[in-house]
Amino acid sequence: MPPQFGLGLRLLVYNRLRLLIASASVAMGVVVIFVELGLLFGMLDAQALIANLVRGDLLVMNIARINLHRWDKLYPVRIDQAAAVPGVARVTPVYEDHVGMQDPDDKRVRRIILYAFPPDDIPFRLDDPASITHALKVSHGFLYDRLSRPIFGKFQAGDDIKLDTVPARVGGYVNIGVDIVNDGNILISKGDWLARSPDAKPIMGVIHLKPGVPVEEARRAILAALPADVSVLTPAETARRESMYTLRSAPVGILFLVGMLAGLVIGTINCYQVLYNEISDRLPQFATLKAMGFSNRFLRGVILEQAVVLSLTGFVTGMIVSWLADWYIASQSMLPIRITGPSGFIVCSLTFAMCMVAGLIAIRRVAVADPAALY
Amino acid sequence: MIARQVNFAFDAGSARKQVLFDIDFVLDRGEFVILTGPSGAGKTTLMTLIGALRSLQSGSISVLDTELAGLKAEGQREIRRKIGFIFQDHNLFDALTAFQTLSLAMTLAGRRQSRSEARTLAVTLLSKLSMEPQIDSRPRQMSTGQKQRVAIARALINEPPIIIADEPTAALDADTAALVIELLRQLVGTAGTSVLMVTHDRRIFSAANRILTMVDGRITASR
Repeated sequence: MPPQFGLGLRLLVYNRLRLLIASASVAMGVVVIFVELGLLFGMLDAQALIANLVRGDLLVMNIARINLHRWDKLYPVRIDQAAAVPGVARVTPVYEDHVGMQDPDDKRVRRIILYAFPPDDIPFRLDDPASITHALKVSHGFLYDRLSRPIFGKFQAGDDIKLDTVPARVGGYVNIGVDIVNDGNILISKGDWLARSPDAKPIMGVIHLKPGVPVEEARRAILAALPADVSVLTPAETARRESMYTLRSAPVGILFLVGMLAGLVIGTINCYQVLYNEISDRLPQFATLKAMGFSNRFLRGVILEQAVVLSLTGFVTGMIVSWLADWYIASQSMLPIRITGPSGFIVCSLTFAMCMVAGLIAIRRVAVADPAALY
Repeated sequence: MIARQVNFAFDAGSARKQVLFDIDFVLDRGEFVILTGPSGAGKTTLMTLIGALRSLQSGSISVLDTELAGLKAEGQREIRRKIGFIFQDHNLFDALTAFQTLSLAMTLAGRRQSRSEARTLAVTLLSKLSMEPQIDSRPRQMSTGQKQRVAIARALINEPPIIIADEPTAALDADTAALVIELLRQLVGTAGTSVLMVTHDRRIFSAANRILTMVDGRITASR
């Protein structure tokens, strides 16, 4: 026989309906935590989307551009200056602006983000880059982000759509994604964009280093070579900086933290209530075990075993419900809200912690089981 | 078991009520003693003191050469492990089969045994109580009497040297009650088990070596 006999598990699984209800009670807290965390991570991911999409070793930007939603541009010469630094293979200029895109049906104009770059040197990690290059070159139009919010109307490749009143051809589609501020994206070749907007300046330069050149060394060399009006960051640093900026500048961090705490409290109370009822309903049996000579440690083990089982069943149930909730929220908001490895690990740990806390509180109930009252 | 000058009182605020007065008695090895008397006589309180379910207030009780006076919780638990308790209510876990109930009790004995050895032990005992067919049944599949017999088997499975029973036959029909009493008598006769039983069931008085009568917290008669 196993040392602890698995009594807690046996008592819980005996009544399947009761276990289901108990799991659902714990899962309520899990769902709240998952959704809050999913929204937070989704929002942070969305805000740092472009930084995470960039394909390069370093980014050179205007030093005043302390977050990716500022429009501080680079002097175009900085691109060439950076490219001239030893160790740098090439620097791809990226232009960013917003343009008014007219819905072909209702003629309403809505703001959309435009990225322009040389079509032969796509600076983003996108599916099928050869097709993108080809489409940008051939159409002299734009590629529309399929993951844009569905507010720009219905059109198809080959249609002419007005961008800032000037027609442009829909050359194809890409998958990028939106954030809290921006509703959609289009891509256009650098040449076509400069033809439309001759004074346009790049928003950043994507630096590709020669093979074997250390990133830190190159960064120091670029900063030394360029005037002090630029910052040079890796894409990962840019993404981190964006997340930290979002957390600092908007009260979202504290909002989601409060939401998560609410989920923790809900889960802990529900789990405690379940365990309390489990003990109360079997108080004479637990008192009998005490009379027989079972130790308080054994009884505590039974309750904590139940807490562990509830944390597992509650977590799994909550994860399934959260997955559905995230899927729905993501489909409505177009934000990258999903259960990730880190969020799953965090919620699993929090679920375990909240059930153990509930178990430790509930243990006091079993302590009052008086074997003398059995006679 | 030796009890000397045992007094006990319940404190309910200012209303202190003494329920045991200068109790003296000895339960010898291999003796079957029945404790009887009217309700409120102090039988239950005495049983809980002898079973180390309560702490002594005054006097002395020695169980299996261990003095219970001043004994800490761990010591009380150790003593209780050597006693087979049979309560009026079976208090079985609804989730456990008869075999699982007995297996749980067996873990207290600290014996290292395989599942098959444990099952053999359970089958042997349950068959003596005509309960072998119910070995894999859960309480909801049993009658009240069958549940009580599982509870009795639970108390006996580790072959305790002392059995303390409270109206163990109250839920049993005459034939089953006779079966249980016969089993207890066998244990007394062959294993030297000592039995202290509270009962009003006159059918089983004849099985006892001694019958003690308690009235108002005192042992008033011994025959």
